[in-house]
Amino acid sequence: MKGRRALLLDPRVRFATLVGPGALFIVLFLLIPLLSIVVFSFWRTESYELISDWNVNNYEAVLGEWIYLKFLLKSLAMAAAVSAICLVYAWPCAYLIAKHGGRYKLVLVLLTAAPFLTGILLRITAMQQILGPIGLVNMALMELGAQPIQVLMYTNIASAVGLIYLWIPFMLLAIYLSLFNFNFELLEVAKVNGARPWRAFFEVTWPLNWMGTAIGIVLVFIPTFAASVTPRFLGGPDGSMFVNRLEHQFGSAGTWALGSAMGVVMCVASLAVIFVLWRTVRLRRAGFTGAGA
Amino acid sequence: MAAVNPGARFVIGGQTAMLLALYLFLYFPIFYTGYLSIMENNVWPFPPVFTGEWYDRLMIMSDFHVGLLNSVLIGVGTASLSTLFATAAAIGILRYPIRRRGVIVVLFLAPLFVAQILIGISTLMFNRNVLGIPGNIESAIVANTAYSVSFAFLVILAQLVRYDWRFDEVAQVFGARPFRTFREVTFPNIWPAVLGAFIISFILGFNNFEITFYNVAAIPTLPTIAWGTLRHGIEPELYALATIVNALVFLLLFIIYLLIRVGALRLGVPDD
Repeated sequence: MKGRRALLLDPRVRFATLVGPGALFIVLFLLIPLLSIVVFSFWRTESYELISDWNVNNYEAVLGEWIYLKFLLKSLAMAAAVSAICLVYAWPCAYLIAKHGGRYKLVLVLLTAAPFLTGILLRITAMQQILGPIGLVNMALMELGAQPIQVLMYTNIASAVGLIYLWIPFMLLAIYLSLFNFNFELLEVAKVNGARPWRAFFEVTWPLNWMGTAIGIVLVFIPTFAASVTPRFLGGPDGSMFVNRLEHQFGSAGTWALGSAMGVVMCVASLAVIFVLWRTVRLRRAGFTGAGA
Repeated sequence: MAAVNPGARFVIGGQTAMLLALYLFLYFPIFYTGYLSIMENNVWPFPPVFTGEWYDRLMIMSDFHVGLLNSVLIGVGTASLSTLFATAAAIGILRYPIRRRGVIVVLFLAPLFVAQILIGISTLMFNRNVLGIPGNIESAIVANTAYSVSFAFLVILAQLVRYDWRFDEVAQVFGARPFRTFREVTFPNIWPAVLGAFIISFILGFNNFEITFYNVAAIPTLPTIAWGTLRHGIEPELYALATIVNALVFLLLFIIYLLIRVGALRLGVPDD
């Protein structure tokens, strides 16, 4: 009995009891299914059934054939552009809330986060009412007798606007949380020592908050790269993205193995982005401040 | 702080304008959808002519009630599992500073960095081809939990960082067993954080499309109904549906806000 009591008091045992179930759940229902599609990506599909006949044809198709590669590059470009716009726009907003939000910080931040929770489909529906051919912008222009703005109706630009609309809250939240823990007095020190505001920003504020910013970039890049609903309903005839091709493999085409390979390629591309950003975070921690001198 | 010079005032003014524009960008479409849901003419609703027809039509839609029930089931299931795992894990990580606990933190945050559609298709493939389980509500709950648990974990962890574990130690010194300590000391102090995590993961499960879509087969949920409607061009019932869901989400978020404000302990909340 004494042994059992001692075992129950062991912090490691308690830690494992508390953390174990959730950790096991994530391994079983997130990581193992993800690994399973890695296996399936080396198989082939025959009339809607997976057959364990090992080959690399799926990867040859995804990475070798222009029809797939084109969509992969297009999705990467879209994700990079949307992340960049979110970054540039969210930074000043997050900075304002963190530095001058006072007692309203929490409300101001929750207000930017709230729309995220109303769900992707409903937000895209709302966006269609603004940008579409019978949307508010176009109808107002017609009422005024002006020319419609073609570039906003079912184009890749409309898609980008929709994606920014969906994911900018993540960027703002990540940067805000970083700035919330940032000691603004460091900036004053820099200024007292003669640094101009812009220089103080790029030498102090930016590098010290780069990690939070990098997390924000990843949190916007990944869902944008994997967006399917937005390009489908806002992108129009040329709006199709890599993920829309991927979905096709799981839908009417029924080529599960090829679809799995596309999923693996997506996962690897996302991991590569995370890895590159992670490297820059570690460099900066070691005192590297980029181009600054 | 030094006196605000004109340059700094200009910068703050610019930032304020950007933030206000962001709120407008984020909220205008939501309110406009609400406005459209009570307008007879959905294309150019000016001047306004009010109608309740779209809500009436939504109510008699047979799929709507089934979809609502299924979405609530997925939401409650996801929230229960996520909150349970996240609360236990957050307590374990904060209370027992085991070496390498960082690995566990990374594991609990990993789902944030996996695209939802990948979770959707990989669980579909795994269930179908390895386990032989057909798509249903239960597999949708499991797959949604694998995603939402990260959010629940973040919400709880962020608020528990400043919880004083000495309360629990005192209880145990006086002989309370771990479970009793949790029920009588820990939980009464941390419940606002736990409820907040429950609400967030409920909303995520309730509204999820990409994970749920691949896991529920043909069972209707509100997001899959919305998707079906969108595919065939928007019908005004969808505005009514969107308005009801948005109102529900904002009501729940307001409850979270109150929880944080009047939270029993004001646990580490970034507040005044």
